[in-house]
Amino acid sequence: MSHEYIPEIATDRDGNEYEVQGWQDDFYGGKLGFWLFMFTEVMMFGAMFLALTYYKTLHPEDFLAASHHLNRLLGGTNTVILLISALTMGLGLLKMRAGDVKGAKLMIWATIILAALFLSIKGVEWREEYEGGIFLNYGKLLPGSDFPFGEKIFYGLYFTMTGLHGVHIIIGIGLMLWLLKRINAGKVTTDHHIFYWNIALYWDIVHLIWVFVFPYFYMIGGGYVVGGAVHGH
Amino acid sequence: MGTKTTVNYQVEKKRYYNVLVGLLLLTTLTFVQPYVFQAGTFTAQMFIAVVKAWLILMYYMHLKGEKLIGSMTIFALSLVTIFFVIVIAIDVTHFQFADESYITSGSLGSEMDISAHTTHGGE
Amino acid sequence: MSKTYFDETHCAIGHPKSTFMQWMLTIDHKRIGLMYAAVMFTFFFVAVSMGFLMRLELFAPGQQFIDGHTFNQTFTLHGVIMIFIFIVPGIPAIFGNSVMPLMIGAKDVSFPRLNWANFWLYVAGCIVALSSLWGPNGFADTGWTFYAPYSLTTNTTVLPLLIAAFMLGMSSILTGLNFIVTIHRLRAPGMTFFKMPLFVWGIYATGWIQLLATPVVGITLILAIMEKYFGIGIFDPAKGGDPVLFEHLFWIYSHPAVYLMILPAFGVMSEIIPTFSRKEIFGYRTVALSSASIAGIGYLVWGHHLFTSGMADIAKTVFSFLTFFVAIPTGIKFYDWVATMYGAKIVLSTPMLWALGTMITFVIGGLTGVTITMIGVDIHLQDTYYTVAHFHYAMLGGVVFLMFAGMHYWFPLLTGKMYNEKHAKIAFYLNFVGFNMLWFPMFIAGYLGMPRRYFDYLPEFQIYHQISFFGAVIFITGLIYMFVVLYKGWRHGEPSGTNPWHATTLEWHLQSSPPPLENHTKVPYVDFNPYEYKHGEPVVKFDYDTMKRID
Repeated sequence: MSHEYIPEIATDRDGNEYEVQGWQDDFYGGKLGFWLFMFTEVMMFGAMFLALTYYKTLHPEDFLAASHHLNRLLGGTNTVILLISALTMGLGLLKMRAGDVKGAKLMIWATIILAALFLSIKGVEWREEYEGGIFLNYGKLLPGSDFPFGEKIFYGLYFTMTGLHGVHIIIGIGLMLWLLKRINAGKVTTDHHIFYWNIALYWDIVHLIWVFVFPYFYMIGGGYVVGGAVHGH
Repeated sequence: MGTKTTVNYQVEKKRYYNVLVGLLLLTTLTFVQPYVFQAGTFTAQMFIAVVKAWLILMYYMHLKGEKLIGSMTIFALSLVTIFFVIVIAIDVTHFQFADESYITSGSLGSEMDISAHTTHGGE
Repeated sequence: MSKTYFDETHCAIGHPKSTFMQWMLTIDHKRIGLMYAAVMFTFFFVAVSMGFLMRLELFAPGQQFIDGHTFNQTFTLHGVIMIFIFIVPGIPAIFGNSVMPLMIGAKDVSFPRLNWANFWLYVAGCIVALSSLWGPNGFADTGWTFYAPYSLTTNTTVLPLLIAAFMLGMSSILTGLNFIVTIHRLRAPGMTFFKMPLFVWGIYATGWIQLLATPVVGITLILAIMEKYFGIGIFDPAKGGDPVLFEHLFWIYSHPAVYLMILPAFGVMSEIIPTFSRKEIFGYRTVALSSASIAGIGYLVWGHHLFTSGMADIAKTVFSFLTFFVAIPTGIKFYDWVATMYGAKIVLSTPMLWALGTMITFVIGGLTGVTITMIGVDIHLQDTYYTVAHFHYAMLGGVVFLMFAGMHYWFPLLTGKMYNEKHAKIAFYLNFVGFNMLWFPMFIAGYLGMPRRYFDYLPEFQIYHQISFFGAVIFITGLIYMFVVLYKGWRHGEPSGTNPWHATTLEWHLQSSPPPLENHTKVPYVDFNPYEYKHGEPVVKFDYDTMKRID
């Protein structure tokens, strides 16, 4: 809000005065609220990782084989892209707090471009899988195929989790565009940047989720020798 | 109110880059690890991920020095851990019907009668 | 304080002139609470009539009015409305909104516009849920639990329900988030956590369950949708998926959810007991901390819903063991309440009557819960009327009874009027007798083997079903009677004054009743405990213009 908020004063019986925290202009409250919201993200992805681990326990070999098949080069590139985008986001906020609005805006644009790049690479990956006959409700993932159970579920969750992560990236891009609009409108300023702060936090949690998604899907079967184990058991 | 904190731009910026270097090193480690040793890949990978997550939480998300939010984070994370301990370590690891259940049979499902095997609890 | 355009209108968008639009767009927590109440009780009566339809059908063995498929849809509609639309938002949405900020001396909740958006998200969720009624193959027949794999294979309209449950869950999460931040940030100066009224403790503990458990069911519903329409395989045995995983994920939320329902209800009880005993509550800290520990332990016990689902034996044992622990903090609360009443000159007003009635019904509900915690007993009683009766004694006889108690307790605060005490008491007795007659026979029927969710039964169970039916008639009469009494009180009641119950907590120290837009004229400094009585009179008195203590 653009108006000036003047906190109320409460007085105790000895005449000491205490400033009352109102719901207006509560930077810490806004931050706390957003952290709490991020816990819900953690629980959501936590539950999906729980499902993933559930089936990893039941079909350990299938999981390694399926993981081995994923494209580590593209996945790794995406990891680095997201890592750098976390830096640009953080630096942008830093510039904003230091008073450099123009630099902050540049950094946000950089983050948006990196995010779009991430999504494109993700798209290429999915396309590759599709052409290899692996996609939701398609080819090897259909109930009738003789693909081992463990691999079916691995890919089912792979598409679900990377897909949901992608949705978070898209939401992130939308939020950043909104942020740019708010900065241009003078509603997010060097003094009043809780909105920016929280979007930066959001981008970090998106990155954080990827930090676990990446090794769990791409790397656990990294050194797995194909044919070294019989599929299924 | 608390918004008007001044920042030391250069110092903070340096910290961001230091953490970036750390994260990149850890990412490299992620790639090298499976080719160095294979047994325990999963544990090693998850360990690296946890270290990376810790760096991001502490420095990029500014959790360092946040007492209240920090303890709330610990509470939420320990809850997830407990879910894992109960569901994975206590329940699935001791799955009792691996030999007779359809879902762990590993056989090809197409020709089998599925309805008779809907849950592994059926005796 | 400088008044601004935004402060004066108290609307989320713009500055509407009409009263109707002012209500629709309001960010005032009291109005939002009342709007929640209006929507919830409308749906409550829809669900009650579904319940009555089932009782009618079960009056005699064989098919009477509806066939088996319709019966399945009926109990699904009953369950979905009662759980997702009525009792989960329940007390937090109504009283947490309208009373909690007053209790801590705040002007509003921390994010008032989020609160407004939540209400409309909730309404949208209700509409989506009902839209399923007109779906291509009729309303879902899965039961409110949506167990896989049946919910994935049924051709009835499940999708809108899953989406609606997700939306309602989202609204619940954000409400809980809002309350946690409010309680952390907006307490009046001097009010430490251990000076908060106990209802606020209940809301706080509930907020954490809403926040951390609801996302799990949210994602479970999304995964179920993904399974149904994209075939990801994790709940579908045809692809090697394990339906037990669905039950795990579902109950990780849905079991804490019952504590989410009961904790604010216990909070209401902890307000009413000291007020009408005119005594400080016995063991304030233990009551407060037992709320927190119920919330904590409540996260760890979901597996007792899976005793017959094929979990590992060791997991069953662990869950059974952990579940017993919930009884401990609950027991502490009950002993504290009883000890508060000991030696007190109890004022038997209607709210106190409801609270005392709940003590009986909830103890029955709670202790029968302990019996089915034991694995052996549970294998016998799972999915029988015994469990149905246990659940309704705990939820209806616990949560909803206390919600009614709260309604009678805060009625003069929120309307400024008083209902007719005599008629309100008659309504209570009707409800209490009807309730017990309706559900107690089910314990016996269930023990003898009457399975739940059946629309037909063996002739030897007829007597229990018929007693239940007459209980239901009395109970529903009582409900209607109660709402008529409250409605009449609201329209034609005597002005109640600001503090009719001689209560001590901050929401009763206002200059007018119903409370004005910005609550207290000035925020008071809190240097007293929430329930200070001396010789049966409140100790703390305020000058309502300056909010300074004058005792």
